[in-house]
Amino acid sequence: MENVLNKEIKEIIDACPEVGRILDEYGIGCVPCSVGSCLLKDVVGIHSLDPEQEATLMYRIEKAVYPGRNVAKPVVDKTKKTAPKKISYSPPVKKLVEEHVLIKRLLALIPAIVDYIEGSAKVDKELILNCVDFIRTYADKYHHMKEEDILFKYVDEKAEVIQVMYKDHDTGRAHIRQVVEGAEKGNKSQIKEHLFAYRDLLTQHIKKEDEILYPWIDRQLSMEQVGEMFRKCNEADALVGDELPRKYERFIIELEEKFLQEVAK
Amino acid sequence: MSGCPGSKTIDFSEKTIQEGGEEGKRPSQLRQWPIQMHLVSPQAPYFQGKDILLAADCSAFALGDFHKDYLKGKSIGIACPKLDSDQEVYIEKIKSLIDDAKINTLTVMIMQVPCCFGLAQIAKEGAEKASRKIPVKQVVVGLEGNILSEEWI
Ligand code: SF4
Ligand SMILES: [Fe+2]
Ligand SMILES: [Fe+2]
Repeated sequence: MENVLNKEIKEIIDACPEVGRILDEYGIGCVPCSVGSCLLKDVVGIHSLDPEQEATLMYRIEKAVYPGRNVAKPVVDKTKKTAPKKISYSPPVKKLVEEHVLIKRLLALIPAIVDYIEGSAKVDKELILNCVDFIRTYADKYHHMKEEDILFKYVDEKAEVIQVMYKDHDTGRAHIRQVVEGAEKGNKSQIKEHLFAYRDLLTQHIKKEDEILYPWIDRQLSMEQVGEMFRKCNEADALVGDELPRKYERFIIELEEKFLQEVAK
Repeated sequence: MSGCPGSKTIDFSEKTIQEGGEEGKRPSQLRQWPIQMHLVSPQAPYFQGKDILLAADCSAFALGDFHKDYLKGKSIGIACPKLDSDQEVYIEKIKSLIDDAKINTLTVMIMQVPCCFGLAQIAKEGAEKASRKIPVKQVVVGLEGNILSEEWI
């Protein structure tokens, strides 16, 4: 089993797709991940399953990878019920989770915005550039920079999970450059392609952070670190001021009023 | 006795399993005196900028690894929300610890019995009154020394 644990997850799944299906059953969605270079041991560790679940999962993976091997089946005590864990985020991390909410509200509007762009004679460049401004300023400078400059510094930045997050941020930036180019040229299909790609990327990215990465980081932090991180995040927020998040919230509300009504019509 | 679960007699001497070793010395992690919430002053140097543990009197006796896992690296105040008098003073002191001593974080450790939750309430009120905001965590200890929950409040 040792060597399987130290293999990259994509390699294991490529060789044995059954492993991907097993992981999926446990809510571990490695199959659609863009990178897949996390080691199996980290993948399992990061999801903090209860010990019995983890033992059963490892047994099934080993069975799938080495069907011929004689693997001891773990004894599962069915009487022991584990309550579903409610995630209690530390205050600085909770703030980041709350920022995701506004970003998700924009992501939800993307299909309606794309419909509108496709249906109008001339590309509404101002609308696209305003959305880009939200993404670049609120999602990227305000939110992603706190992750990159503060949060990720509290864990091993070389860890694959963190590398995946950096890569997602970069891929998102590249899509947005394409959206801008599309808006400049009035190229509707370019705008559509990259807005949708951005939406898919960030939807997965935020889900990974909320459900897996953030709780994993929280578990490693001491009280002293939580206090320090809280202070650093507040300082970073104070630097940009209260007005910035308020302004972008107003922007989203206006977009919702415009586009959610269109959908309702 | 009346129906108060906080003072109901329970004997679990049979159940206490001897997990963990007896060998080796366990040094105290206490770095200050006094510790009782009426006796401590928020101006004390050992509170300035520190991570503070506000522990229910009973918790340190229940929790086997109290020093190693919870007291280590922190400054402490202890109190009993059921029997202590003048508890408004506690609220003011917590406010002052946050605003004046500029403590980094507050961990409030209580026992699972309902009346002990009063201490979490005191911590909450003190934190709400303070103008600075800091992370506050609540740890609930079971009667047999197990950690029942840890959550941010
Ligand atoms: S309220 Fe808490 S500290 Fe006071 S006696 Fe009860 S358990 Fe002990
Ligand atoms: Fe991110
Ligand atoms: Fe994020």
